[in-house]
Amino acid sequence: MNTTSVEKIIALSRDLRWQIGDEFHDNLAEGIYADASEIAMGSVSSDNSKKRFRLDAKIDKIVTSKAWGFPIMILILGVVLWITIIGANYPSSMLADLLLENFHPFLKGLAASIGMPWWLDGFLIDGVYLAVAWVIAVMLPPMAIFFPMFTLLEDFGYLPRVAFNLDYLFKKSGAHGKQALTMSMGFGCNAAGVVATRIIDSPRERLIAIITNNFSLCNGRWPTQILIATIFIGAVVPASISGLASLSAVISIAILGIFFMFVVSWALSKTVLKGEVSTFNLELPPYRPPRFWKTVYTSIIDRTLIVLWRAILFAAPAGAVIWLISNIYIGDLSIASWTITSLDGFGFLLGLNGVILLAYIVAIPANEIVIPTILMLTVMATGIAGGDGVGVMFELDSAGETATILKAGGWTLLTAVNLMLFSLLHNPCSTTIYTIYKETKSVKWTVFASVLPVIMGFVLTFLVAQIWRIVF
Amino acid sequence: MTTYNPVYALLIFVAISTVIYLIFRPVKGWFWVIKNNLSFNEKTVIEDILKQLYHFENSGKEANIKSLTGVLKFKDHLIIDVINLMTINKLIYFEGDVLRLTNTGRDYSLRIVRVHRLWEKYLAEKTGIDKAEWHDRAEFMEHKLSQEETNSLASQLGNPVYDPHGDPIPTTSGKVAKVKGVALSSLAVNSIGKITHIEDEPDVIYKQIIAENIHIGSQIRVVENSPERIIFYAEGEEFKLAPIVAANLTVAPLDKTIMVEENTIRLSSLKENETAKIVGISKESRGERRRRLLDLGFVKGTQISIDLMSPLQNPTAYLVKGTSIALRKDQASKILIKKDESHGK
Repeated sequence: MNTTSVEKIIALSRDLRWQIGDEFHDNLAEGIYADASEIAMGSVSSDNSKKRFRLDAKIDKIVTSKAWGFPIMILILGVVLWITIIGANYPSSMLADLLLENFHPFLKGLAASIGMPWWLDGFLIDGVYLAVAWVIAVMLPPMAIFFPMFTLLEDFGYLPRVAFNLDYLFKKSGAHGKQALTMSMGFGCNAAGVVATRIIDSPRERLIAIITNNFSLCNGRWPTQILIATIFIGAVVPASISGLASLSAVISIAILGIFFMFVVSWALSKTVLKGEVSTFNLELPPYRPPRFWKTVYTSIIDRTLIVLWRAILFAAPAGAVIWLISNIYIGDLSIASWTITSLDGFGFLLGLNGVILLAYIVAIPANEIVIPTILMLTVMATGIAGGDGVGVMFELDSAGETATILKAGGWTLLTAVNLMLFSLLHNPCSTTIYTIYKETKSVKWTVFASVLPVIMGFVLTFLVAQIWRIVF
Repeated sequence: MTTYNPVYALLIFVAISTVIYLIFRPVKGWFWVIKNNLSFNEKTVIEDILKQLYHFENSGKEANIKSLTGVLKFKDHLIIDVINLMTINKLIYFEGDVLRLTNTGRDYSLRIVRVHRLWEKYLAEKTGIDKAEWHDRAEFMEHKLSQEETNSLASQLGNPVYDPHGDPIPTTSGKVAKVKGVALSSLAVNSIGKITHIEDEPDVIYKQIIAENIHIGSQIRVVENSPERIIFYAEGEEFKLAPIVAANLTVAPLDKTIMVEENTIRLSSLKENETAKIVGISKESRGERRRRLLDLGFVKGTQISIDLMSPLQNPTAYLVKGTSIALRKDQASKILIKKDESHGK
């Protein structure tokens, strides 16, 4: 064929395209879908599906009803969180007892008996080992309790109904109803919450859910909140209601987190994320009895251990860094002391102090070691008695002793309030940052998700500090 | 910290945030204004003039310098300088005081129109950008894309014939399909037609059309046409428009002998305990969203009914092919159904 006839054919095909119009492709595709469904209707028969469906419909009528939908939801989430926080205390203290009180001195003794030099012993045992042990003791029990319970609810089929109930609220802020689930998952662990956003198949809503997951107060932060609230908030009210006061302070912080989640979701969907494709749909699968042991097994393997492993990988070098900065001296001060002094000014502006800021920098790998690091650094910076030695993280059995150390470090009620706010609004832990990168495959969104909450934290604590100082 | 004072600190903070806001606030921020001004050059002005002349020519009107300076947002002296330059380059010529496109000029203008409409199609199919923003973004992009980029964009989109508003997209060889139909405002009472085009300029009127939830491709029946208002039925809903708004809708009249699906309504108006059959998905549902609905089984002929209402009334779960699928109200309004005669189960 010569070129002119080829061109003729191409021109003819173009003309024909005009004639069939632009609905042709759609009509063809829809015709195929319709034909397929007709064939299926004619050849597939289903029996007794109606009967099973009736029970489902009954449950659905209750859990999505106007009167019961929301109370049931709040109750279930409340119970799950309560069991997690209370239930995790016992195994956590057992693990802490084993790994920190017994195994740590044993390792020290072993090192001494084989004549290990002090710096290697400090670096490995006081630094790396202690950080890893701490993360395991604090992190493992709540996750091992929370994730199986959550997965059971998921397996039963209740969670899609929660998304269904709440979708309208999330729609208002440009997000997907399923973000309710990833947010709740974030109360257990943000890294797991970020992984859970896979259930959101609309690209824009998924990014929103990933970026805002950090506003869910995770298991690593609940203990910090509770401890600080008990020491400082509980102390300003009469003893009879101190428990109640500190509890409501912690809950307010969690609710504030939910509030920020909505606001930031809304802002994101109006600005940087408005170009992303958004498709909404939500399948409400039939209920089924959860496969208990299988669920428990997979949730421990898939969620708990993977997250724990990542946390350990990041905690080990953090432990090393904490020990090193407190033991390497420049001039007559350690690196830690230098940093604390230089951060003190900025920290004061935020109603915090240099110790807290440094603790949050070195504890990026895991929020669990923030309090031990703060205690260690405070003892070091103030030179008061206490603790287990330079660069060795520790925690105290009673809140009272902790309070003594913190107050010696110059802490006030403002410091405590702002620490609680900053604990809510700061960068995600490195495990979560790494998970965000794995899920989004984008450096841009990873950096964005990491920096945004820190900036918000700085602004909020700054404002609170200034207004506090003007008022009081 | 001897000079520290919380009041000053707050004032400095407020000052800094105000400056950041002024620089980066959307659209009017200094940063964006400067960025846009830097990208405004002679090429932009030439291309905008060509495009305007093309639109004048297309609508059968004549353009002179006065009418051009009226529609373009550039400074008058700049427009006159550029027009002089364009006559020298033989893109346009004067016939008396009327400006006309040369053949080269028309080809050039068609290329710009092609990029503009392709970009609107791209935004509609591949992104989640709101339709109110399509036009302005396309205005910006039409000066940016090279011919190769345009062609690869076109083939990526499957060489579309019409843009999402129903305007034809010129081909590489400069062919333009015709929009069938007349302005809605000129339709007589009781005439039946199909919306084939929604004009997106001026902005104010287009936003009203969007707010009314009028969908392209829907069949309409005019029930009232007076100088004050035009009332028509489409997809089971009643719409009232001012004639100036209605003039921006193009309707292709349908022969009454053709079977007209009069009782086609939107899924969003289905009530509990009613059943219906799906007729199709509106053309307003595009790209990924449309395919998702088809994948889920919202195809022609499928039986559909309401399964559950959420406590906040939105979304609603529909029972399709034995599966319960929740859709939001705006999605349900883009699925067309025909109610079954016998109500209830």
